[in-house]
Amino acid sequence: MKKLIIYLSLFTFCFTGCKKIITIDTENADPQIVIEGKINDQLIDQQIKISKTIGYTEANVFPKVSGASVTVTDNKGNTYIFKEGTTPGTYINKMKGVPGVIYSLNVTAEGQTYTASSKMPNVVKMDSIGVIKNFFFGRERKTAAVFLKDPANETNFYHFNLYVNDVLSERFYVNNDRLTNGNDLRLQLFFKPPTNDHDSDELNANDKIRIEMECIDSNIFDYWYALSQQSNRGPNQGTTPANPTSNISNQALGYFSANTYEMLSATVK
Amino acid sequence: MPIKHYLALFLLLFSSTVLFAQNKFTLSGTIRDAGTGETLIGATVKISGTPTVATLTNNYGYFALTQPEGTYTVTVSYTGYASIIKTINLTKDTKLNEELKSANDLAEVTVSANNRKNENVKSAQMGLEKIDMKLLNSIPVLLGEKDILKTIQLLPGVKSGGEGNTGFYVRGGAADQNLIILDEAVVYNSSHLLGFFSTFNADAIKDVSLYKGGMPAQYGGRLSSVLDVKMDDGNNKEFKFQGGIGLIASRLKAEGPIVKDKGSFMVSFRRTYIDLFLRSSPDSSVNGSTLNFYDINAKANYKINDRNTIYISGYFGKDNIGVKDLFENNWGNVTTTIRLNHIFSDRLFSNTSLIYNNYNYTVRLLNDATNFKATSLVRDFNFKEDFQYFSNKHTLRFGLNATQHRISPIDIDSDEASQVNSLTQERRYGIESAAYISDEWAVNDHLNFLYGVRLAAFSLMGPGNFSTYDANGDIVSTANVAKGKFYKNYLNLEPRFSVSYLFNEQNSIKASYNRNTQNVHILTNATSSSPTDQYVLSSNNIKPEIADQVALGYFKNIEDNNYELSGEIYYKWLQNQIDYKNAAELLANSNVESELLYGVGRAYGMELFFKKKFGKLNGWVGYTLSRTERKFTELNNGKYFPARQDRTHDVSVVGIYNMTKRWTFSSSFIYSTGNAVTYPAGKYSIGGQMAYYYTQRNAGRMPYNMRLDVSATLEGKPGRKYQSSWNFGIYNLLARKNPYSIEFITDPNDPTKTAAQQTSLFGLIPSVTWNFKF
Repeated sequence: MKKLIIYLSLFTFCFTGCKKIITIDTENADPQIVIEGKINDQLIDQQIKISKTIGYTEANVFPKVSGASVTVTDNKGNTYIFKEGTTPGTYINKMKGVPGVIYSLNVTAEGQTYTASSKMPNVVKMDSIGVIKNFFFGRERKTAAVFLKDPANETNFYHFNLYVNDVLSERFYVNNDRLTNGNDLRLQLFFKPPTNDHDSDELNANDKIRIEMECIDSNIFDYWYALSQQSNRGPNQGTTPANPTSNISNQALGYFSANTYEMLSATVK
Repeated sequence: MPIKHYLALFLLLFSSTVLFAQNKFTLSGTIRDAGTGETLIGATVKISGTPTVATLTNNYGYFALTQPEGTYTVTVSYTGYASIIKTINLTKDTKLNEELKSANDLAEVTVSANNRKNENVKSAQMGLEKIDMKLLNSIPVLLGEKDILKTIQLLPGVKSGGEGNTGFYVRGGAADQNLIILDEAVVYNSSHLLGFFSTFNADAIKDVSLYKGGMPAQYGGRLSSVLDVKMDDGNNKEFKFQGGIGLIASRLKAEGPIVKDKGSFMVSFRRTYIDLFLRSSPDSSVNGSTLNFYDINAKANYKINDRNTIYISGYFGKDNIGVKDLFENNWGNVTTTIRLNHIFSDRLFSNTSLIYNNYNYTVRLLNDATNFKATSLVRDFNFKEDFQYFSNKHTLRFGLNATQHRISPIDIDSDEASQVNSLTQERRYGIESAAYISDEWAVNDHLNFLYGVRLAAFSLMGPGNFSTYDANGDIVSTANVAKGKFYKNYLNLEPRFSVSYLFNEQNSIKASYNRNTQNVHILTNATSSSPTDQYVLSSNNIKPEIADQVALGYFKNIEDNNYELSGEIYYKWLQNQIDYKNAAELLANSNVESELLYGVGRAYGMELFFKKKFGKLNGWVGYTLSRTERKFTELNNGKYFPARQDRTHDVSVVGIYNMTKRWTFSSSFIYSTGNAVTYPAGKYSIGGQMAYYYTQRNAGRMPYNMRLDVSATLEGKPGRKYQSSWNFGIYNLLARKNPYSIEFITDPNDPTKTAAQQTSLFGLIPSVTWNFKF
């Protein structure tokens, strides 16, 4: 709706350029620890990444945190030790998560201990992915879409990543079945390229699209949902931005998610 | 103060009126405009004697004054009208129904000093702003569509909801803390076209009063302000038509007598036609789109006899926005007010009102996979009984009010194929009732009191399942309440007190204290009002919002009341304020109350106002210095943080220059500190994307707002029956890019860095409007 307001206003009123770069007055905060951990249901090198925040004005190079001790345990009594691999700050262990199992993370880094746990939900598979055409003020617009059948007997939370020609879309795609339980779903994922070029947000013939789908638990849904409400919307619009609530203790930023994983690809016709 | 003590004090103060002496007679009547027969609200009636006593006509033009037997000189005056001076021999209770001639209807008018009133200095009422409807025509506005809500934003203490937005904040209150009433009916959503225009068609409006503080006891239900809008009654002498054609909307109003001098009607219609431009597009997805609003105001009154007058008025408005094959959205308010004025005795005036109002919206998604219709409704039935008792030194007001609310939060209706399920969220029922009494007491020439108390009760009623949530948002218990059963009751006593002390006729100080409570709340985490704003009632979880405000002011008039100067300072404490948890889902959520946070707020500031009322050049300068803060345990480490609408400085300058009889030039200038917003203090990588790290809430500032608007009005040749005028305007003459929003993007000059990109809505916008009257 908000986007529509802006669109209509621009359409109706703004004859000259209505966007400009400004300088804002903000502090550069001290570095904070960021932990991003995922355990999925594929037999792969599962990754726990530890990094730090940088100040707002700094160049986008995020410092990695090496030398941490990282352990994941599950409620079946298994312990997995994660070792720092060839990439600094990325801790790996080749293993396969199982739906229904609760995984717990224990990280000790720079003298602080961080813990979190997450239960891997049941698998819901995509039926297919495809491209939808919409008309909006005379423009045909193609969007990527996921088709899936939501199970009626449980509460489901989904998270998606969209790649177009191997470029990750800069949006957080997240859904729950609060209003759509048990239905055949068609979820449209609007592409946002990392560049500022707003014309390149359309899909064109022969673009390769790839969609990753994860079934996530409710805490992780809240995490992505909070980010999705903020991304693309700066201050003074919608929700006042805040750090998403993390399921990791000790004020760490980031999340620890045990989730399923599935990937499908297609080519735009 | 305990209720018993308060009432005792009240009775003590009022006891002097109850004992009235013998051989006193009452002069009473109704004051009207000679040209239209419209009753004049707030006209002064002064009766000579020792001491001289004066009163103002009430909302229905009625007044009553009592003096001992004798011969008196009575003066009836009203700003912009020629005064009437009469000699009255008061030997029995006497009727004085007068009609004043408007300055517009007189060839030559010398506005004498005695109808330049010093009411602003004298009255105990504080924080009251009256909008002169004649002034409204010349103040420049966006696209030439004159608008009372945008005009009140030019007053000190009233802050705009955002560029071109009709939402407003009064003395640190939230946008949903304004009581907006049209002929006593609550208008829940006062905006058209996503907030760019207001629901009030200025053609149909007679009187606008905005109370920023010192709310009289007859008003209640919202914390921050009362915007009391009254519709025109209609000309009871002859048939008149007026209208206008503007860039985006056209207006037409018809009025006339039902029975000459006994009854009249008024019908006013306005419609926009932006979508007619869309329709001319050859593209089918464009020409099938809709973007319009319309509203209808209608009113009729009939004087049954000298003691009884009946009024019926209504408003109906609707917005439609839609994109073909994608979605449709419409919303609107409906209000109906039936009133009976009954004069029990010359000194006891009563009004009985039956009021119906609703606000509803429909959203329809037409996408082939997501096909559904969502509807929502807030509906009130309201009964009000108000009495006014006129004694010489006292005007006593008392009354009762009972409102039944019904809220249908959302009903989703979808077909089998739709991926969204049908859903009916439980309706909520509540009864708000209130009893009030207040007294306006002119103790002597120096001292005036306006004091009273309002007892406000709220009951949340069944049927329904009412859940109570803990701090985590988990359900602690759920009560199943049967239809008609009271589930949760709140009782609040709201003292209201104002005093003015006049040093002389042109200098006074005033002080006030008032408490207000609120039981209907809007849940929205958007900046501006949205058609899909959700209304909730107080419950087990949501406590009534409470505001206590103290204010102190100095008022001074100079040069025969031509110049008004005032300074007010205020401090406001707010309790049970609402904010939202992270990742709150507010829409179509039966557990929406689990997503809320409760906290407190404080607001304080100083307002300076300088106004020149008469002469070729008139206008005003307003300045506000203020602070508005909120505190929630769960936010900002439990420390006070600036509310979004906290703007340190706010300046508005309005100038109107009547160059000739036909040409009027006007301009308005505003400057305000930017909104308080939360800027990132750091950034990090998550999920392969950039995320921002936030520290203090709303510690940043948007760039400041500054705008100059100008307009020129050319009136037709005077003295003709058929009158037309042209209004030319330029909005944002300096073409300044005022900030609407900011987003963070990759710095175009250095891709390794982040840049803030500001979006503005309006550049320089010219407008032209043609108005006619016959």
